[in-house]
Amino acid sequence: MTLDQTPMPAHAAEDVAMFARPEVRHEGALKVTGAARYTGDHHPAGMLYAACLGSPVAHARITSIDTSAAEELPGVVAVLTGHDVGHVLFGRHLRDMPVLARDRVLFIGQRVAAVAAETREAAEEAVRLIEVDYDDLPAVFDPREALTDGAAVLHPDAASYGTIKGARTPVGHPNVQGELVHGCSEAELEEAFAAADLVVEHTFRTPRQHQGFIEPHGAIVWFEGEICHVVSTNKAPFGLRQQLAAATGHPEDRIVVHNRFIGGDFGGKGFSVDEFVCFYLARKTGRPVRSVMSYVEELSATAPRHAAELVLRTGVRRDGTFVAHSADVVFDGGAFAGAKANADLILHGGFDTMSAYDVPAMRHRVRTIYTNALPGGHMRAPGEVQAVFAGESHVDLIAGELGLDPVDLRRRNLPPRCPLAAEVLDRAAAVLPRPAGRGRGTGLALYRRQGGTGKGGVVVRALGPDRFEVVTGSADQGSGTVTMIARVAAAALGVAEDRIEVVQRSTADALYDAGAGASRVTRVLGDATNVAATELRGRLATATEFPVEVACVVEAPRGEDNPAFGACAVEVTVDELTGEIRVERAVLVADSGTVINPIAHRGQLEGGFAFGLGAALMEELLVEEGQVLAGSLGDYKLPTAPDMPPLEIVTIASGQGLGPFGAKPVGEFGNLGVPPAIANAVERAIGVRLMVLPLTAEAVWTALHGSPSEH
Amino acid sequence: MLLFDYHRPTTVAETAALMAELGEDAELLAGGTSLMNLARLGLAEPAHVIALADVGELGGLDATPDGGLQLGATTTIRHVETSPLVRGRAPGLAEACGHVATVRIRNQATVGGSLVHADPNQDLPPMLMVHDALARITGPNGDRSVPVAELFLGFFETVVQPEEILHSIVVPPPARGFRAGYLKFLPRTKDDYSTVAVAVGLTAEEGRVTAARIAVAGGGSTPLRCTAAERALVGTIPGEATALAEAAALVREALDPISDARGSSGYKREMARVCTTRLLRRLGTEDAG
Repeated sequence: MTLDQTPMPAHAAEDVAMFARPEVRHEGALKVTGAARYTGDHHPAGMLYAACLGSPVAHARITSIDTSAAEELPGVVAVLTGHDVGHVLFGRHLRDMPVLARDRVLFIGQRVAAVAAETREAAEEAVRLIEVDYDDLPAVFDPREALTDGAAVLHPDAASYGTIKGARTPVGHPNVQGELVHGCSEAELEEAFAAADLVVEHTFRTPRQHQGFIEPHGAIVWFEGEICHVVSTNKAPFGLRQQLAAATGHPEDRIVVHNRFIGGDFGGKGFSVDEFVCFYLARKTGRPVRSVMSYVEELSATAPRHAAELVLRTGVRRDGTFVAHSADVVFDGGAFAGAKANADLILHGGFDTMSAYDVPAMRHRVRTIYTNALPGGHMRAPGEVQAVFAGESHVDLIAGELGLDPVDLRRRNLPPRCPLAAEVLDRAAAVLPRPAGRGRGTGLALYRRQGGTGKGGVVVRALGPDRFEVVTGSADQGSGTVTMIARVAAAALGVAEDRIEVVQRSTADALYDAGAGASRVTRVLGDATNVAATELRGRLATATEFPVEVACVVEAPRGEDNPAFGACAVEVTVDELTGEIRVERAVLVADSGTVINPIAHRGQLEGGFAFGLGAALMEELLVEEGQVLAGSLGDYKLPTAPDMPPLEIVTIASGQGLGPFGAKPVGEFGNLGVPPAIANAVERAIGVRLMVLPLTAEAVWTALHGSPSEH
Repeated sequence: MLLFDYHRPTTVAETAALMAELGEDAELLAGGTSLMNLARLGLAEPAHVIALADVGELGGLDATPDGGLQLGATTTIRHVETSPLVRGRAPGLAEACGHVATVRIRNQATVGGSLVHADPNQDLPPMLMVHDALARITGPNGDRSVPVAELFLGFFETVVQPEEILHSIVVPPPARGFRAGYLKFLPRTKDDYSTVAVAVGLTAEEGRVTAARIAVAGGGSTPLRCTAAERALVGTIPGEATALAEAAALVREALDPISDARGSSGYKREMARVCTTRLLRRLGTEDAG
């Protein structure tokens, strides 16, 4: 790990200066006038409506399916079961999810049958007429229990599963989705622990959370000859194309994905479910088929944030120097691993328990485990949210054990030669002095996050001497991709922003892009735009005929060191008679590099804070014996505007990022520190330490007063 | 959600005739903030929906000659909340309305809907109970009046019969020296149902409580009046610490809430006690309106 900051190429001051001007969203007018067409706004001629039957049981053998009544319902055009589709498995990396269950169901909500009908109502009615007999099997809901001898095995054929790239690396226990150990050897770790004056260990737990976007998952699939067309809410069109091809065997070059506008993502829109069944319904009926999930399905049949249990152990010297750290992180992976995008099938964020510090001996073991619940998925900083809550709570607990100031303890352990980290920490600490009096406290959290990488390309084309377009295959899930590309192109070409049009094209007409995830878009597509536009600017000097174009594909190598430091500090008051926590004010310090879209940047940080506030205080997708207990966003509560405290945003514009003009990733940044900062503040306010998210009023009250008597 | 036939009668008589004709396949629709959610979740599947929006007799918000109020069943919560008449005659009612969900929902949700839906977490029922409000119900055999305190039978169940319509709510004129307040405990987000909520009405003369009303939302399968706690307050000095602590403890004992994501049963009972204490203390320091 190196934290040395490589000097970035200098940019013309006037080019970067244009970024200071608040941006106007290029697609904004389309959105506010309702002209932007989201997936659910498409109605190709002859379109049918799909509805799916979900399993009502958590683990069972399917003994019979009777679809005759559904088939006879007027308006029904096709009914499919797992036997009609065959043994077709899909997934973002590991293909372990059947399009429709054949002989067994593994979670409540898993797709068992599907209907295409002339109306949505007929499709839904038909689904209810399908009769399925289930023979219950023992289910397992606790990941640690799933690893014990005699636990139900969810995937007896796991060894035979393929990935989107071929065969799979074998795993040990059949209920393990993925496992990765990172860091020094056990012997080195124990030696380092032996040199510590104090060893502390704590266990933290975090719940499932839904991403909370407003537009539910949806898709339309149709065939024109051999070409399969898809419009969907998937934010990684090229990824979806690859997954569809891998699952169905339809050639990848005969699948065209047209995604453009997406109504919110927060990590959840990289995973597709009903695109696959729509493929088979469209192929069977020869007509376009559209599926749009209800919110009941959205909450119970997609892929929320993984619940986690994290056991952290740290050895320190009496002066506060960290000498050894280990973490055993267990994520509840749910019934399928197919929602995870990486080849390790874990959440790498689980390694970030102490990512902001220099610890000479560190060892992490991160596992994802199969259980009979809905699949674990990605959500804004997957794994890091869990790890940073645990790690930054742990650091404050260590400070308490040693009698040291938590900010001083952090400062002592910062990476060497990294003034940015110290600046971020000090700026956050300076804003919030320690208040006096019981019931009021401040808390802080520090973190370091690496941005995403991967491949992506654009074509920058001069249509005339002062008219340009940039062609991208990226979908914009609301984070401002289109505007970012336009501004980077304008700066690199040295022209006004209104001279640039960003054109979003399908996977058939655009260069590959890995999709809007892992805060990678500005880093990769911004970079590609910058390189292509800079090259084009050079060629324009001698160009006499138009169009002139430059294509550029950038691949940011996995594991490249592009860190950003962030800190969150809050002041809370705690009502000791009710346990209610109120965040009175907050500050978020972000080492953002060069900011390209100032309004979107601020929006990401403020929205990120609100997102973190939800994780800290209220969000939990309750699942009982595999049954999701929330049916709407009326049950699954998200924070709203009146819940937000006054928030100060401090941006440190170091210009040292690897993105264009020195930009750094910010999309999954504002939320990370909020839960531990609040937990730390609560302890300072009333001496209560909560190690389970969310930090509910009842948990505070119970810690103060004991369990309430039932009667 | 299933498709349904949509009917728009313009009079109560026409509505009643439709209800008689369509029977149990029909549901009445006022603001729709509850019915449409239930329909989307598949918990209500009406084949016919009879919209009350055009039934003028069911709307309105009027002063009664005796100094009280009449709230039409289809009057929106927002209308009640912002009405100068309500603020003058029953400020506690305006206060409780201001705590219902969000402005967007208050513009849609109705007084009648929030009562006949009979979700024990609704904000209006406890406040109407402390005002001794009456529900006027119209049916094939004429009109009848039921105290709001006796309207609820259980979760989502009221005494309003399938062939009857909740017509309006009558809020009697407050006694001299009456004051009311509402405390909604929302520890998660401001846009939520309460964990528990308490409404209190106190009438005081010459420094002594002559009548008390305490009602709780979220304390059981129905909104609930806590009569033992009310009795304990009569004759005490408003806001006096021992008396209010005793009454608040009796409120806790009167409740049997369900455990859910908003809190365990025991916690909700404790919070009802804390909220009652705080509200009684607040009302003890306020002048009668």
